[in-house]
Amino acid sequence: MTDPELIERCLHGYPDDFRFLVQRYEKPLLGYLTNRLGNRECAREAAQEALVRAYFGLPKLEKPESFHSWLLGIGSRVALELYRSKYRCIEDPRDVSTAPAMTAEASEEYCLDEAIATLPDSQRQVLMLRYYEEMSCQQIAERLRIPLGTVTKTLSRAYVGLRDELEKARRKQMEKQR
Amino acid sequence: MNCNEFQDCLGAYLEGTLDADERSAYQQHIATCSGCRLLAEASSSLHERLLKRGPSTSGISLVGSVMEKIRQREREERVQEPEEETFLSKLLKWRWSLGMGTAATVATLILFVILGSLNLQVSAAEIMTRGANAVAKLRNIHLRGQLRTDPADNFSAITSDKKFVSIELWKEFEPVLKWRIEKPGRVAVMDGKESMLFIKPDYAVKYSRPSDTAFDTQWLHEIANLNQLLNGEMAAVKKHGWMTAVTREHGKNGRMQSLVTIEAKAECGNDDYLKNKFFCTADTRRVYVFDEVTGLPSSARIYLCASTSDKLIFELDLIEGNTAIASDVFQLCLPENVDWAQEMRLLPDNEKYVALNSEQAARAFFDACAHEDWDEAGKFCTITGSLKAYLGGLQVISTSDHFTSALSLISGAEFVPYEIKLKNGNVKKHNLALKRDRQTRRWFVDGGI
Repeated sequence: MTDPELIERCLHGYPDDFRFLVQRYEKPLLGYLTNRLGNRECAREAAQEALVRAYFGLPKLEKPESFHSWLLGIGSRVALELYRSKYRCIEDPRDVSTAPAMTAEASEEYCLDEAIATLPDSQRQVLMLRYYEEMSCQQIAERLRIPLGTVTKTLSRAYVGLRDELEKARRKQMEKQR
Repeated sequence: MNCNEFQDCLGAYLEGTLDADERSAYQQHIATCSGCRLLAEASSSLHERLLKRGPSTSGISLVGSVMEKIRQREREERVQEPEEETFLSKLLKWRWSLGMGTAATVATLILFVILGSLNLQVSAAEIMTRGANAVAKLRNIHLRGQLRTDPADNFSAITSDKKFVSIELWKEFEPVLKWRIEKPGRVAVMDGKESMLFIKPDYAVKYSRPSDTAFDTQWLHEIANLNQLLNGEMAAVKKHGWMTAVTREHGKNGRMQSLVTIEAKAECGNDDYLKNKFFCTADTRRVYVFDEVTGLPSSARIYLCASTSDKLIFELDLIEGNTAIASDVFQLCLPENVDWAQEMRLLPDNEKYVALNSEQAARAFFDACAHEDWDEAGKFCTITGSLKAYLGGLQVISTSDHFTSALSLISGAEFVPYEIKLKNGNVKKHNLALKRDRQTRRWFVDGGI
């Protein structure tokens, strides 16, 4: 089932189906927040809270097909709040008035997370099965009942999409710095 | 190979699924096209970075904790909202506030039956039959509700003065019967082969066979078997002459709902010890709510009807059929330090224990706990770490002769009143339930600790 279909069900009598959205996005969200907060325990706490807020915010979600990037946005806000209120739980407390500074590597990974969220649904689905669920292309083909060639072609398009998106983000960043 | 064909091959190249000819064409293209060479390098770098994602988040599942938090917040919000009043509930409340008794109850309900037949033109039986037909072909069902009980107590126990705790059931009827029932302190799972019960924090029971309703979950299974339930309720109404009423109200989704109310009486004497402690011994008012458009049952409420007041004890707010149930729902994850229930075995001095009456057995059990003689106490029930911590070093204040309940005829339980002082200074006064094991004929503790 696609994200919009699951969201539709959640809003119309099947709220428990939200568990499938949690299953789908818990790992990308957790990875994203770990990069953001630099601490796995805090990231876990923030991810839980973000998912709960997302559930209650579903009626206000205007573009169900953008659930992933919307969720990362919520995660980002929760991470900032958590950082401000509980910065002691982060090993390297910094200036609490600003968002936590990230290492260059964490920052790159963080941009990659945001780029993944912008991919079309079909590419994101294959990418997440391949890299977060650690399935082989053959296993993905079997799970989604599509030919192996379609899986690798979808991955190819995802790489191109990610590269373009990261390049866009890099240029934006440079303009900001100027 | 042109640039478009090359781009489509990136994934297959990195995954090693290109054949020798394609691989060679791929490499030739890179050698001549600088744009595609850069893209290949970027893709390879992305592939390497992405490969680290899985291991860094593997073994983590937030599903359970997130869904529990959501339910908790929903409950909190519900508590803050004023109780939704239906016409029927207003009338019934009014009835109690005026201090009227049973005659008035009957009069109220007769009034409803008359009103129902005049204005609604649809009888309880018609609504229930339509509902039963609407759920006649369920492959699976998922129920979620709240029950007033102790979180870890027996699944069918009602404790009307306790707060609500969540209770949830998942059941797959085909191809193989599987089910799971869970409340905060207790989980029962039947995975199609085995039936297991886990009582938190450290006690588990396993039967190496499938079961339809093990571990006192019968009442909830009766609700889950919706088609049989709705037909069965109307058959019971007819058989016992129970009162029914039909009302209508707007649901939260704005659609009209029909409410069928049934006043059910338990076949259990009013002075019985177990009266109103379990679903099967309780007089209840059951309210089944149906969507008028689809005819489907959408929620249910059960009130305990006591002599002085009625109290909501169970509320089913989610009924969904033929839904997607994750396969891990029918798996039970147990902590490593779990203590498995021990089967009763014949002891070398078994006859000594067979000769005890239930009070003597209760006394022997408590004495063993007092002396922290866990081998001896273990002859009466499985001793877990948490039980040792709770009962170890207790002082027996008193025990007295047993009494029985109407249900003792079926269950064989005898109840021994006791008073003990726990190590933490608290005094506990309750009734220990003991049964004789069929094989060894010794008493074992079945509840009431």
